[in-house]
Amino acid sequence: MGDIFDLVVVNPFTNALLVLYGVLGSYVLAVIVLTVIIKVSTLPLTIQQQVSSMKMAAMQPKMKEIQDKYKNEPQKLQEEMRKLGYNPLSGCLLMFIQLPIFIGLYQAITRTLGVTPFNLLDLGKHVYSFIPNLSSLVPINSNFLGMDLGQPDKLFIIPILVVATTWFSNKLMTPPATDAQTKQTNQMMQMMMPLMFGFFMLSAPAGLGIYWLVSNLIQVAQYYIMKPRLESARAQYGLPSLNAKSGDSASKAVIDVERPAPPKSRARGSNTARFNTAKPDEKKDK
Amino acid sequence: MFQISKKLIAAGLAGAFLLTACGGGGEPQPTSFPGLMIDGNNGYLASGSQVYKFDVTTNAEAWRFPAQAVNTLNFAGQPLKFGDVVIVGGATSPSGGAYDNHLYAINQQTGAEVWRFAAGKDGNPGKEFADGVVTDGKLLYAANGDHTLYVLDPSNLDGGQPKTVWTFTAQNKLWSRPLVADGVVYQGSLDHNMYALDAATGKELWRYTEAAAPIVSQPSISNGTLFFGSFDNLFFALDAKTGKLKWKTPVDGWVYSSSLVENNVVYFGDAKGRFYALNAADGSVKWTFQTQGAIHAKPVLSGTTIYVVSGDTIVYGLDANQATDYKAAKKNEGIGRRLFSTPALVGNTLLVVPLDGAVKVQAVNVDTQNLANKFAFPQATPGK
Repeated sequence: MGDIFDLVVVNPFTNALLVLYGVLGSYVLAVIVLTVIIKVSTLPLTIQQQVSSMKMAAMQPKMKEIQDKYKNEPQKLQEEMRKLGYNPLSGCLLMFIQLPIFIGLYQAITRTLGVTPFNLLDLGKHVYSFIPNLSSLVPINSNFLGMDLGQPDKLFIIPILVVATTWFSNKLMTPPATDAQTKQTNQMMQMMMPLMFGFFMLSAPAGLGIYWLVSNLIQVAQYYIMKPRLESARAQYGLPSLNAKSGDSASKAVIDVERPAPPKSRARGSNTARFNTAKPDEKKDK
Repeated sequence: MFQISKKLIAAGLAGAFLLTACGGGGEPQPTSFPGLMIDGNNGYLASGSQVYKFDVTTNAEAWRFPAQAVNTLNFAGQPLKFGDVVIVGGATSPSGGAYDNHLYAINQQTGAEVWRFAAGKDGNPGKEFADGVVTDGKLLYAANGDHTLYVLDPSNLDGGQPKTVWTFTAQNKLWSRPLVADGVVYQGSLDHNMYALDAATGKELWRYTEAAAPIVSQPSISNGTLFFGSFDNLFFALDAKTGKLKWKTPVDGWVYSSSLVENNVVYFGDAKGRFYALNAADGSVKWTFQTQGAIHAKPVLSGTTIYVVSGDTIVYGLDANQATDYKAAKKNEGIGRRLFSTPALVGNTLLVVPLDGAVKVQAVNVDTQNLANKFAFPQATPGK
């Protein structure tokens, strides 16, 4: 399993970092460029996740109805939820892709920086011999603004920035809650995730923190670029605006309960549907 | 309800992934390579957070240093017996985030600390001693990760630590022990150079700059020729006096293993797992053998058998006089842990040092290729 992960994820990242370092002459630049490449490559998934979240949010009122109706019939409840197009893991797809990327990059960074003798031996096993002169790039110059990228940031600047940008990025990416319970969960998640990553960064190489930092900043930029389209899609699903305060959305949930969810066929429809400006209800009438 | 579960699952997964995959699944990630030294019936082992003395015939433990393990300590490289003390080097901490910049001299009878030396220069603390120290019988030569080779006089303690006789600073880390022969110190560096220094004064005699990648293995010398490998997939033979190239031979991978020169044959392995036997005279390949893990340890020769340990956890016994490439070899079934440290042969028992795990030294019967189960150090404690 580890060998396959190496082959598919870690080795390409390791060699990409070395190639970029060779071309750009700076390890930080190499990490930044690789991060941009990764973020652009996973952009379709980011969009898909946003759409998925919207669909799930739009289904909430109907889901509540079904849950109340079949609370004593678990099998029927499951069946009805499936008919509705409910997929509890649909919003996690990006997480499932991002985590292996994050872990792969962690391993690639520790390998390429050759922080320890063991890391360096490990690197030797994974450098592509068909790319010339990669070995001559070793050891990587890991100094950046007086910081050793292969070591944890002793000044805690990177962990603090990681916490701040993760929090901000999560805040932007989390759509307004449609009920009080979701709002509470969102708030908990928005606090937990940044703190978890910040805690991890206290002992992780600063180079990994740079990746996470840049990744968050790109995510924020992507959000603002995509925002008009997301707003339009949210309106289409009858969801509150992204600008709506949580309080507004929680109270709006009362109204949403009355609003029918988008039809099943549309909820399961292709991702392109998200950017249609016509409301699902209008389409349904046609 | 479903929303909460989904997010908590995601958060849990994230946490679990970070803590296990990145953190090593609860076991500290290895940073350096343990080292074993045999002196008569005594074995000295620098491994993890402690140094051990044990009896190689009974595997009875004599002492540990420090007596109680300290998590921040990490010892690496082959211990050196010097008079009444055993000298070991501190290495990168298990988390990789800190260095122990000390050399420790331990009373070989009692296991008590006699002195310690802190590396450091110009107000900057030194870094790790990744591969232990060597001696010419009088001075200690200790290569440090702070780019500096420290030459110490242990007979002249100054403020509780041996006096520094001279230092030499390269352009990058020194992660391998030097070789001291005929009044010359040969030191490879991650700066891609091999240096020859006067052992008495530290004056640079020559440097070989044609390797295009790090040199991270202790060189060997035989009949006036210096042998070492580099990360540019080349193995070099230089005139030890002048530093002029005699020959170089391409290999499959990075050479991190020190070489053994016996009977005009050079034996070593590479990081891609291939083991080589080269003619010392011209570098031509006599035979090779492919293992499935990186080879870091120096091989051990006994009679006509050469013992090779690999990152694939297997101990191989190869015929040193084999004329062609191996298709199959005598090997044991694997000990379940990666083997990167140089083993030691005691009679018909090869003592191998796993990179990690509870068993620090495992005995392998070289006649049967089986694990000699009666010998695993430390001894299992009844009830555990």
